[in-house]
Amino acid sequence: MADPRQPRTTLALMREMGLTEEVVARRKAFLEFGAEDVERLRGLHDLAAQYADGVIEDFYSHLLSFEETQKFFTDPAILARVKAAQKQYFLELTQGQYDAPYVEDRLRIGVAHERINLPIELYLGAYNFYLRTVMLRLVEGYKNNPEQSTATLGSLLKLVFLDMGLATETYLFRRERTIREQQEAIREISTPVLPLRERLLLLPIIGAIDPPRAQQITTQLLQSIRAHRAKVVVMDITGVPTVDSAIANHLIQTVQAARLMGATVIVSGLSPEVAHALVRIGVDLSAVNTVGTLQDGIEAAEQLLGYIVSKAGDTGTSHNPAGS
Amino acid sequence: MRVPILKQGSYLIASIQDALSDEDLAQLQQELVARVGQARTRGVIIDVTALDVMDSFACRTLRDLAHTITLRGAETVIVGIQPDVAFALVRLGLSLSGAQTALDLEDGLALLDQHLQRGNTRGR
Repeated sequence: MADPRQPRTTLALMREMGLTEEVVARRKAFLEFGAEDVERLRGLHDLAAQYADGVIEDFYSHLLSFEETQKFFTDPAILARVKAAQKQYFLELTQGQYDAPYVEDRLRIGVAHERINLPIELYLGAYNFYLRTVMLRLVEGYKNNPEQSTATLGSLLKLVFLDMGLATETYLFRRERTIREQQEAIREISTPVLPLRERLLLLPIIGAIDPPRAQQITTQLLQSIRAHRAKVVVMDITGVPTVDSAIANHLIQTVQAARLMGATVIVSGLSPEVAHALVRIGVDLSAVNTVGTLQDGIEAAEQLLGYIVSKAGDTGTSHNPAGS
Repeated sequence: MRVPILKQGSYLIASIQDALSDEDLAQLQQELVARVGQARTRGVIIDVTALDVMDSFACRTLRDLAHTITLRGAETVIVGIQPDVAFALVRLGLSLSGAQTALDLEDGLALLDQHLQRGNTRGR
């Protein structure tokens, strides 16, 4: 798998977000954005080209007069580049082509804004100013034909809302994806499987267990048994605050599955609360080997594996069968 | 597909290499039970490492096989159950009760050695 942090093409993003041609068409239909709107916007093109520079200048002087937005344009080179991009966008609005490449461009803008962490209220606020600036020019340009002016403004609004929807959605989609990736990472860190001795694994579980995590614990435990050729596994749940019946049953099934693979699982560290709760909800833990603490668990495991652990000073005196 | 049955000392080893049809399983059962008597077998190992799925019929057949072999005077160990298979069996409420299980062939042989030794000393 490629690094998920690597920039992907917007085309791939579009597919990931499920923005197929039909979906975009549905959105346009919901906005009642039709052929006559395209016509009106195209009719606006000459006027737009004429006013483009003025609009862009007004827009950026507004952005530069606010501290919140100013900090994004500290580098004059960046400012010049964004101005050029903005002008292109402005002209695209009245191009009359609102198909897949246009949608892709909107997503690219959303991605760019998310990358620089532009707060969404600033995006919307800036768009509002932009729209008002354009509106003034439009009313002025069509002052001899107020009906046409209103209709065109309506068409423009539809398109602008389509754009804003797409851009903010990209924003949210990327954020959600980041959150998903982080959850995944936390989940992976949170259930390590540690080889403690030859053929003995330790599986400390800390924090609440939800069904996906339970599933993950199972998979990881069973696969580790195979990978490490484990005979005994100590599953320590000292750090688990509560266990409900579904999770308890899942753990019991895991223990049974481990047994089918020839390994014994010892569950250690059932807190008084967890023990009470399990008895109250009537989960039968008789099939599971439970001990009080992690220490007991490890001692029981060592016994099963035939290890005899003694202090260095004691060797040869009592337990060691090879001695005496 | 026929399952080869190998003799190793006083043990028989049946290594299943591919998904088996119900007939194949039945044939394996008959053949193994017959061979146990012929070769003074003390233990049987059935290796299922190659199986990615095990249905209820296969599970029941293996369990019955283990019981039958016990009646014929030998022990059965089923080895190499894959993690996914193990969890699926438990999920479906299927059990191999009666049959012993071990991680792989090596552990299976060690388990049989251990049991037979214990049996011998107890017997004499």
